[in-house]
Parts: sequence; C-alpha cells; structure tokens
Amino acid sequence: MSTSHSDHHDGSSDATPGGYENQRRPGELIFGAFLFVASLVLLFSAYGISGFDALSAPGTVPMATTLVMAITALIIVIRTVRLPLVTSERISVDILPGVVVLFGVLLVAYGFLLRPLGFLPTSALFLIIAIKFLTRRSWAYTLVVSLGSLFAIWLIFRIVFTVLMPAGVVPEAEIIQLFRDFARVGAE
Amino acid sequence: MEALLAFLTVFTQPELLLLVGLGTFAGVYVGAIPGLSVTMAVSILISFTFSWDVYPAISLMIGIYMGGVYGGSRTAILLNIPGAPSAIATALDGYPMAKRGEAGTAIGVTTVMSFLGGFLGIGVLALAAPLVSDFALKFQPRDYMLLAILGILLVGSLSSGSLLKGIFAGALGIAVGAVGRDPLTFTERFTFDIQVMEGGISFIAVMIGMFGVSEALLQLHHVGQPAIRQKISRIVPSLATVKKHLPLSLQTSSIGVIIGALPGTGGDIAALMAYDHAKRVTKDPEREFGDGAMEGLVAPETANNAAVGGAFIPMMTLGIPGDAVTAIMIGALFIHGLNPGPMLMIDQPDMFWFIVGALVMANIFMLIFGLTGIKLFTKIVEMPRAVLIPLIMLLSIVGAYAVNNSINDVYWMLGFGFFGYFMRHYGYPLGPVILGVILSRLLDENWRRAIISEREDLGRFFEGIVTSPLSLVLFIAVILIFVSQTPLWGWAKARVLGKQKVAQK
Repeated sequence: MSTSHSDHHDGSSDATPGGYENQRRPGELIFGAFLFVASLVLLFSAYGISGFDALSAPGTVPMATTLVMAITALIIVIRTVRLPLVTSERISVDILPGVVVLFGVLLVAYGFLLRPLGFLPTSALFLIIAIKFLTRRSWAYTLVVSLGSLFAIWLIFRIVFTVLMPAGVVPEAEIIQLFRDFARVGAE
Repeated sequence: MEALLAFLTVFTQPELLLLVGLGTFAGVYVGAIPGLSVTMAVSILISFTFSWDVYPAISLMIGIYMGGVYGGSRTAILLNIPGAPSAIATALDGYPMAKRGEAGTAIGVTTVMSFLGGFLGIGVLALAAPLVSDFALKFQPRDYMLLAILGILLVGSLSSGSLLKGIFAGALGIAVGAVGRDPLTFTERFTFDIQVMEGGISFIAVMIGMFGVSEALLQLHHVGQPAIRQKISRIVPSLATVKKHLPLSLQTSSIGVIIGALPGTGGDIAALMAYDHAKRVTKDPEREFGDGAMEGLVAPETANNAAVGGAFIPMMTLGIPGDAVTAIMIGALFIHGLNPGPMLMIDQPDMFWFIVGALVMANIFMLIFGLTGIKLFTKIVEMPRAVLIPLIMLLSIVGAYAVNNSINDVYWMLGFGFFGYFMRHYGYPLGPVILGVILSRLLDENWRRAIISEREDLGRFFEGIVTSPLSLVLFIAVILIFVSQTPLWGWAKARVLGKQKVAQK
C-alpha cells in the first residue's frame, strides 16, 4: 500500500483503531493524563451523587464506571510512559496541523453565529471560507460551488425534511411563502 | 400470515419501495466516498427523519446501511482507499486486482458476493430472531446487565487495538449516558449544578460529533490526495466464478452473521476475521493473498454484508445493538416511540417483519445498483474532499441542531467531535462510547432492579448468577474477556492478527 492510510491506521474503524501498538505518538501521554485527571474528577462527582448509600442508589453505576475509567486510564498512562516516542512525527504536523486548528475555530465560530445571524448567511460564510481555503481555486469557483451546494442542502432539508433552522437576518419563511403564492397563481 | 403481510409491506407500498431504493443508492455512494461513513450518514439522518413516520424513516436508513456496507468496497478496489471501515480487508486483494486491469471483475465479484452474504444474513435474522426473543423473555435483569457489559467489552477485544482503551471508552459512554436527572429518583448526576446539563446529553449530538465531525477533521489530513482513474471492463461475473467460490462464501457468511450478531461487533471486524479465515482454508489460491486473490475479495465482502442481518438480531430481540449503526437505529426507534427488545417482537411483530422485508429489498437494490451505473459512479466519487469535508461539517451542525432545536446540542456535538478526533489519533475506539451511551440506561436500570430483588445483598446477587446457567455463561464470557489481557492470550492473538499486518504491507 502506498498512501499514508496504510502506514498507520488512521482510526476510521473500530476494527483497526488509530495509534501505534508499540510506540507513543506525540501528545498521547498528555491526552492519557488528561483522561486520567478527568476520570478522577468524574469519580469524585459520582461519589457526591449518593455516596455509599445503597447498592441500588442512583450513584452506584456512575461510581463503578468512573472507577473503571480512572483505573484503565491510569494503566494506559503507565503503559504509554514506557513506550518510545515516534521520532518521525510532530504534533504540529501529524496530530494537530494548522488546518485542523483553523477548522476547529471555524466550527466554533459557526456555532456562535448560527442564532444571531441565521442559518443561510452563517453557512454561506463557513462554506466560502472553508472551500476557498481547501481548494485554493478561483473566487468564481468557490462561490459557485459553496453557494450551489448550500442551496441544494437548504432545498433538501428545508423542503423535503422540513427541518427548521434559525432564520436570523434572512426572512426565510416570507421568501418561501412568496414562492408558494407564485406557484399558486401559476397553477390558477 | 400477518407476518407475511408485514414482510410484504415494503414491496406493496411504492413510497417505501422508493425510499429503500433511494437509501440504497445513496448508501452505495456514501459508502464509496472516502470520508463519508454509513455510521455518519445514519446518525445525521436520524435527526432529519425524526418527524417522519417510523416506516419511511426506517426504510431510508436500512437502505443506506445495506448500500453503505457494500459501497465501501468500490473505492477500496479502485483507489486502495477503503470507503468504509468494513472494506479495509477488501482493499488488500481488490486493489492489486485493479492494478492488473481487472477492476471490473473485482467489482462484479464483490457485488454478487455481497448480495449472497446479505441474503444469508437476512435469512438467519428471520429464522433466529423469533427464537432468540422467546428465549429472551426468560432473561433476568442481571442477564441484561451482563449482556450490555459483554457487548461493550467485545468491541474492544475483537479489534486489533488495546482492550484497555476499549474498556475506558465504554465506561466513558456509560458515564455520558448517565448525565442529567436519574429517571428513577430524579437525583442529579454529573450535572455540576449547571442547569443545561439536567436534561442530559443528547446521544445524537454525541454520535454526530464522534462519527461526523471527528472523521471530517481527520480527513483534513488527506485533502491533497489525488483521485486515480481506473478503466473498468466487464462487470457481471461468470456463473463458474460464483460457483467456484460458493463454499468459501458460505463459510465466511456464517462468520459474518455470528460476528455481526455478537453485541457490539460489526462488519469491519467480521470482514477482517473472514479474510483471515479465507487465508487459512484456501490451500492453493490461483494468486497469493495480497496479490490479487479472488478469495481475498469474496471473504470480507460476504462477511460484512452478512453481518448486517446478524447485527439486527440482538438489536431487535434484546434491544442491544449489534454494531454502531444498529446502535443508532435503536436511537431512531426510541425517537419514534418504539422500545426494541423481546417485548417489541411480541407486541409489534409486524415491525420486525417489516424490517426483514426492507432488508431484502435493500439487498436486491444493492445488486442492481452495484452492477449498473459505473460511469456515474466514477464521476461522483471523484468529488474533491476539499469540497466534501466542509459539507459534512455543515450537515453535522444542521443535524445536531435539528433534533431539539437547541444550540447547546451543537456545542456538545462539536465538543465530542474534537474529543473523538484525538481518540482516533491515539487508538481509542469510538464504537464502545456510543454503545455505552445507548446502553447506559438499560445497564443502570437492570442493575438496580437486580440488586433490589436480591434485597441489596451482593452475596445473593452472585449466588443468583452462579445458579442460573444463562447468567453464568454471560458472566464467564465477561471474565474471559478480562483474562484475554494476560500475556498468554496476547501471544495467541498476535499470531492471528500479526499475519494480517504482514499481508497489509
């Protein structure tokens, strides 16, 4: 196999999860430590639900599961520490390259803008920036592709699936009504 | 008679027929396009179809499921990029065949074999599910609890990654599922006194984040990969070819059904195991495995489609999903007010027979779409990832928002998306998280029921386990999986999986 897919599993399947068996990827230890600490916090929180009241108390299963989390996370950390670091990989290239960070920021920004600005303008902005950045093609191409696919998505989900997204600044319902009126006039 | 009528529902209603067909067609492409997975598509679709009636919604999802499991093989053969996890093993011999200019033959064989495997799986489902559900009525609460734990553990133990990480992921899922007010006593759990957490975390948000956004973020690493064109010749395979591989396909289908039926394990694991089986039983293949052996295509493709039918068995009879996609289907049934489990089979047997009918139809559509429309196919699959990835992200956001019209769900979805991205990088399986979230309530309730009926006495609880054959078998299975972490087991497993690694290189 020639692509980077096969050199190490990229984690797209549960049958062959990502990571390496005998080496530690950059950042893996920090992630493991984070999981361990988070498990401890959750364990403490689970203890607070009902303590050791009764075996059938609402906190029993949460306590058991968070205890399992904490123990497995600790063993994972200990095992990870012993593994040699992969020398050919760096965090900024293989784990968290700039493009992933950029998309993380874009997605969060999308979430913030969705309510006030509305679905159509936010999505248009998101698609235009994302597609322009990824394809690096002309503005004409970017606009046609992003607005075209946004229109298709809107048509399918708004009309076929009747999903209601925040309208924001665009008077969506009025526009649809306008078209319905037109259609009715046309039919008559 | 009623069962037959329910089975025929999908064949007699043009609307449902159309939806299954549409779903299968879409599924083939979803499966084929790298970066779009069936789990992703079905989890996003739930949020869009939840206002529909249950039959049309299920029809569409079943079509996508069946088509998607098959579609992954296409790009595995043509581009050496498995379009879906269940096609990883298919690439091992499919791509070498394509390089020899036999892409058409490879696709044809794959299609027919997927069809065969699919039918076998559905057949087993139709025969076994009623029996299993009768049996399941005898299940005690503790059996359900053990079965849920077993399912979560199985995903980790049968995959090639670390079981510890699988256990962690499963426990995390159960904890996530427990967030919010406890349904029995109304006590707050893991809410940290934040009001929005009282309602719990929407499992659809978790699912879309983990399978949609995290996958899309991962695909950003491969944006620049160029698509390679392949010439495709004759597709429909000769009868002799099919006949020759029939014995093997029956064996690997059986593997597929069984692995599919085990709670938690799905087509991807079934395909790898079947591939391994084929390597062991094929004495003198025409070509070496990994070099374009036809057997290397037959085995995983029959197994992964047979696993579809298998996966529905525990889902319909016990309410415990057979794999990630059926986990999402359970979510869909919940949303439509149905409660999968033995009572569903008794109260609404027509629902079960309808699903069997829809699966049969989807399988037939798969054969039709598989053997036609290659030209269109190559066009669509060449859609650049640079356009595809932002669209997936957009759909994930819309999907997460649409279920509850809640912006919080979007944040949860994004949070789990980012988290899942790191989990994928560091070898933590995602399937157990979803299983955990879905099974959290079942596990919690059955544990409490079981321990209350034993008067809060742990000793009596274990006595109950030891004296009931079923509980004992389940309990031993759970223990065995833990034992599998000892060095002895690791050595045996390394021998099986180690061979695969060599073949992949």
